[in-house]
Amino acid sequence: MNRWLRHHRYALRVALHRLRLHPFSSLANIVVIALMLTVPILGAAVLESSQPLARQLAVTPELTLFLAPQTSAADQQTLLARIQKESGDHVAKARLLPRDQAMAQLRADPAWAQALDALPDNPLPDAIVVTLRDSASPAQDAASLTQTWQQWPGVAHVQMDSEWVRRLESLLSFVRMGLGLLAIAVAVVVLATVFNTVRLQALTQREEIAVARLVGATESFVRRPFLYLGALTGLAASGVAVLLARAALVPLNAILGHFAHSYGIEWVIHLPAVPDLVLWGALIIILGAVAARLSVTRHTQF
Amino acid sequence: MIEFQHVFKSFGRSRNILADVNFHIEPGEFIFVSGPSGAGKSTLLKLVGGLEPPSRGSVTVNGHRIDRLPARARPYLRRTVGLILQDAHLLFDRTAFDNVLLPLNVTGLDRGTAATRARAAMEKVGLRGKEDLRPIEMSGGEQQRLAIARAIVGRPTILIADEPTANLDHDSAVHIMDVFRDFNQVGVTTLIASHDTALMGHYAQRTLHIDGGRFNDLAGVPA
Repeated sequence: MNRWLRHHRYALRVALHRLRLHPFSSLANIVVIALMLTVPILGAAVLESSQPLARQLAVTPELTLFLAPQTSAADQQTLLARIQKESGDHVAKARLLPRDQAMAQLRADPAWAQALDALPDNPLPDAIVVTLRDSASPAQDAASLTQTWQQWPGVAHVQMDSEWVRRLESLLSFVRMGLGLLAIAVAVVVLATVFNTVRLQALTQREEIAVARLVGATESFVRRPFLYLGALTGLAASGVAVLLARAALVPLNAILGHFAHSYGIEWVIHLPAVPDLVLWGALIIILGAVAARLSVTRHTQF
Repeated sequence: MIEFQHVFKSFGRSRNILADVNFHIEPGEFIFVSGPSGAGKSTLLKLVGGLEPPSRGSVTVNGHRIDRLPARARPYLRRTVGLILQDAHLLFDRTAFDNVLLPLNVTGLDRGTAATRARAAMEKVGLRGKEDLRPIEMSGGEQQRLAIARAIVGRPTILIADEPTANLDHDSAVHIMDVFRDFNQVGVTTLIASHDTALMGHYAQRTLHIDGGRFNDLAGVPA
């Protein structure tokens, strides 16, 4: 066990020594990987920060059922009762909005008042305004209810006031998929960069490898410092990427804050949770070590 | 113990560097390997050191058949053989001390013991006080002694040197040969390939002569 630990301590020391020997190229590699990592971290930050926003906006989605002109007052009450009876699980509140009341509400808005005076008659239909309960997928529920109610007799048209929420959810799904593809691209960049770094290191350290073999070094002993080199590069790049993402969020949040505030929304983008960042960092470290292993096996066959 | 039985060695399709070589070396012998340039002396030493496998025949070193030894086991055999090749193969980006430490780092020896043994090895070859120098700052003779210190620090049972006194003045050459003799006197089997027959004749107990891949065991005959 002690011997094993000593071997690893030695490999770590050699890897750090090699990184220090070529500070500029080591730093360049770390920065390249870090920049590539910053993009998905920011993407994930936006995605995670947007989900509560979408939920917050979808708390009170409303559907408006515009009724056919010939619908009697009794039929209107029947429809109201049917909504409560058949879709009560999804409905928080349902109220009848008679056309005269709707017209009065419109007239109260000075922007509309003059235009409405020009009309000979009240063109508005009677309507039922339904407020849905909060749920995990409000946009989906609203779409399903719209489809159902649209078929009912006496209902001329159902308008989903939360249509844009569904669009936002679709957009988030799209971003999520984009992030997945980006993660694959990042993995390829990490693999390629570390692979090439280790290839160059193996060529530079050719003499050292030959001497180590001469004095009885096993292949594991020869490979180990390179694995540490890959892992350390991954570790440093992950750390730098988090710092870069954090720095980028400061101006981004300032701009988004103003924008969101104009819509009456509080929206601040936070970095993903620390355990998530640690997990991603660990994955990058493993990826760096794997790339180094592939490269050193290939480039030390002499 | 080192034993060659019907050993042939060639590289690719070239002619045999060694052809049907047979000999047996007992532990503690001091052997001089002689022969003209290109005769196969270095190849023979590399076979003993496990750096090259034979093309045919069997090579036994310290009870292990090198021709049958799996690749992963060879490093462990190499640790029992101290090798000083024609090119000293020193690491120029490290200090002399770190060069000597390398074989002990390879075995995973603890730092304190390793440092003590490395210092002792450097003292043995007359390099005390030069621990912090880099090989580039040392003379040819000092570099050769550094290579010897690195070869002996792992306490090998066999010491192999290929032209260790080439390019050295007479006094430095004698000093280096004295170091080999001291190790041989404590039981380390020593094989030295050299052109310097006069100097070798003064130290070696037995000569193996190679010429054109053919081999002559001049048992008991000093050069």
